Amino acid sequence: MGQVLGRPWLRDCGDREPTPRIPRSREGWGHADDDDEVVDDLVLRVALVVLAISVPAWAVLSVFVVVGRLRYERLHRNPSERPLRKREAERLVRRVAGRPRTEWGRWRRVTALQRLERARHPAVPRLLRRVLHDPDPKIATAAIRTLGDVGDDWAIDLLVDALRDGDGARSRIASELERLAPAPGPKLVALLRDRNPVVRFWGATLLRPYPDLAEATLIELTWDSDPNVRAAAVETLGTRHGSAVETALSARLDDSEWFVRVHAARAVGHVVGAEAAPSITRLLSDNRWWVRTAAKDALRGMAADAVPSLLATLTHEDPFARNGAAEVLQDVGFVDFLALDNPRSPLLERIYAAGGERFREAAVARAAVAEPKAGVRAA
Amino acid sequence: MIETFLGVTVLVCLGYLLLTNLSYAALVLVAFVENGVRRHEGASQDFDVLGESRFTIPVSVIVAAYNEETAIVSTVESLLDLDYPEFEVIAVNDGSSDGTLARLVDAFELEPYELFVRHVFPTEHVRAIYRGRSHPNLVVVDKENGGKSDALNAGLNVAKFRYVCGVDADTVFDREALLKGMRRVVEDPARIVGVTSHLTIAENPESVMSAPAGRRPIDRRPFMAYQHLDYLRAFFNNRLAWSRLGFMLCAVGAFQIWRRDVLEEVGGYSRTFTCEDIELTFRVHEKFLREGRDYEIHCLPDNVGTTEGPDTVRKLVSQRERWQRVINETVWHYRRMWFRKRYGSVGLVGAPFYLLTEVLAPVVELLAIATFALAVLLGLFDPAVFAVMLVAIAFLTGALTACAILLDDLQSRTYRVRDLARMLLLAPLDLVLYRPIIVWARLLGSWRFLRGDKAWHKFERNVRAPA
Repeated sequence: MGQVLGRPWLRDCGDREPTPRIPRSREGWGHADDDDEVVDDLVLRVALVVLAISVPAWAVLSVFVVVGRLRYERLHRNPSERPLRKREAERLVRRVAGRPRTEWGRWRRVTALQRLERARHPAVPRLLRRVLHDPDPKIATAAIRTLGDVGDDWAIDLLVDALRDGDGARSRIASELERLAPAPGPKLVALLRDRNPVVRFWGATLLRPYPDLAEATLIELTWDSDPNVRAAAVETLGTRHGSAVETALSARLDDSEWFVRVHAARAVGHVVGAEAAPSITRLLSDNRWWVRTAAKDALRGMAADAVPSLLATLTHEDPFARNGAAEVLQDVGFVDFLALDNPRSPLLERIYAAGGERFREAAVARAAVAEPKAGVRAA
Repeated sequence: MIETFLGVTVLVCLGYLLLTNLSYAALVLVAFVENGVRRHEGASQDFDVLGESRFTIPVSVIVAAYNEETAIVSTVESLLDLDYPEFEVIAVNDGSSDGTLARLVDAFELEPYELFVRHVFPTEHVRAIYRGRSHPNLVVVDKENGGKSDALNAGLNVAKFRYVCGVDADTVFDREALLKGMRRVVEDPARIVGVTSHLTIAENPESVMSAPAGRRPIDRRPFMAYQHLDYLRAFFNNRLAWSRLGFMLCAVGAFQIWRRDVLEEVGGYSRTFTCEDIELTFRVHEKFLREGRDYEIHCLPDNVGTTEGPDTVRKLVSQRERWQRVINETVWHYRRMWFRKRYGSVGLVGAPFYLLTEVLAPVVELLAIATFALAVLLGLFDPAVFAVMLVAIAFLTGALTACAILLDDLQSRTYRVRDLARMLLLAPLDLVLYRPIIVWARLLGSWRFLRGDKAWHKFERNVRAPA
């Protein structure tokens, strides 16, 4: 190395006389020639050090990339997992049972757990319970996913417990619970009575696919003190039928919280149908944009049945209500029907007046190219 | 006198080179940790569950298009084909003078409809709104030209979901792009306000994305391959590490997920900067840190799509000088964050890092080239030493690039082995074959920044087969 730093191999290549090596004392630094020499030599030393590090690094990394990839492809060609040997299983169990301090270590713990789960190792239920309580929510969430893969009764119990205790992201627990068979519905009913409103919220939300369960309790929850719980109960009841449900949902159209009104508008539109059109149309003038949007969605869902209520709103004092009504009339095809059937109709002019100039232009442009749509009728 | 000056300058440049490369090397180490964690996280993620769950948060995808007639249909098709439970696609035609709107109307059977939306963000006049007969979740907004930020703001006004994803009109997306991007968000929507993810580059993105993962080609032309490597370094070596260290400084315009209420709070995309993405990221950091609020902005290593790269030197220079300009504009605009403890790692590390490696880079690079050339010409510096130095820098770049290739391959196993090998061999030659173009573009960008130029200087799109 000393030979190289002394760089006789470089000097021999040039025309200049070999120059003295880097000065060893401070006195030598004052002269310009020596300055050049110092800089030259320093740059060369740095360059050689960088070269000594970077060339092997580049070469090793390159080999690692190519060999690593070829190895991955070889393993990938034959993905069937070999059975877990006893010693390997013990090592994995120890890794899962340990308390790694680093995030990296915690992920290795999750990987070990997943390997054990795939091998159906008997220690998995005990280990999963432990990992679920990991302080890092990401790790707990990984355990939740593993529980979803297991899907047995004990796994459902653990998931419901995790939902109650807040181990991991509750939205992920909910996603896993919804895809499980056997369906965990009956085990969710108890969540509706929990003291924690977040748990009641998730209980109400998850009961949506179970139309025969806990209707009375859900109706009760539409009066819950927590607005999130009311919203969840309303959303779930939106998939059911019956006069008690209709009454409970209609009452929530006037809820003090805007997001409850959002869910109520959609739910009432679905459950009550055309009869609810006047009360939902009223929400087109709500002071919250989301509520107006939900009302429009609900009215769109009613199609032609909503038309009478919408026509009555065209002269509403609130511009949002007027143009909202016009928009829904456009979306259900009523405007196009009139534009084709009777383009000079005063009713159409009233709708255009509520919708504005661009609304009219769009309708005229559509009418110019469209045929009358089947199934759309005037109110 | 001149010898002393040149000597000092050489040492300054050498010091700069060592400092920047040491910081890059340190970031690479952090990036390996972040990549490993995200890889484990991704492996334990079940996209099937996420893709079917009604608890996955809906997203409005906004694509701003200005004179994108060659690419827009492929982009929108790839967006409509996304595997995600609930989303809408809002394509905003920003007053294009070509056939962008006509292509969209034809391809998706669009009809004009009036849509009464909130006008939260002021924009140029909206001429018409179209909806797709064949795709009910597609909305096309046709508006007067106002620039990309204005178009994105128009899209925000129409967006009806809580999260929005701004994308570029020249990018073709992976079917799982939104699932990949939102996988972190669904676990902590209260804290995660912004996400970006890794994108690759190609001359013709459709041809790359049509190949299955593991068999995707990388353009054979070295010019395109070097841009690909540049992207890999930027995403894997830098942004992953920034994300880990809490100062993700650029949610890239080609794929940026934001919580809508955050955009409303900060006033949407700004029209006063050359580009919108870096500035918006800085603005969100600035506001949240100033107010002491808990938040996170992430860059994920998952490959979400392929964007069209410039296929000529002229186009590349035009693109990169614009990037340099917006970096300078943003770093200068937010200079109050530099070295301020109040702004945490963004102020103490992130902004100074940008200043050192991006803003000052063209100046130091110019100085280094001039000084070394002069010193060699005057016989004050041994050309052989200069050559050794160049080789050292070339392999240093090669090693850093190999790290980025390794990180990418560990994460996604996207490309063919022979392409990986070719990229590894090309890496050390980056200094000679590619870097000079970038240096020139950066110098041009810095010069135009000093002159106050804020034009987009849009380059022509690559010639492609008709969609």
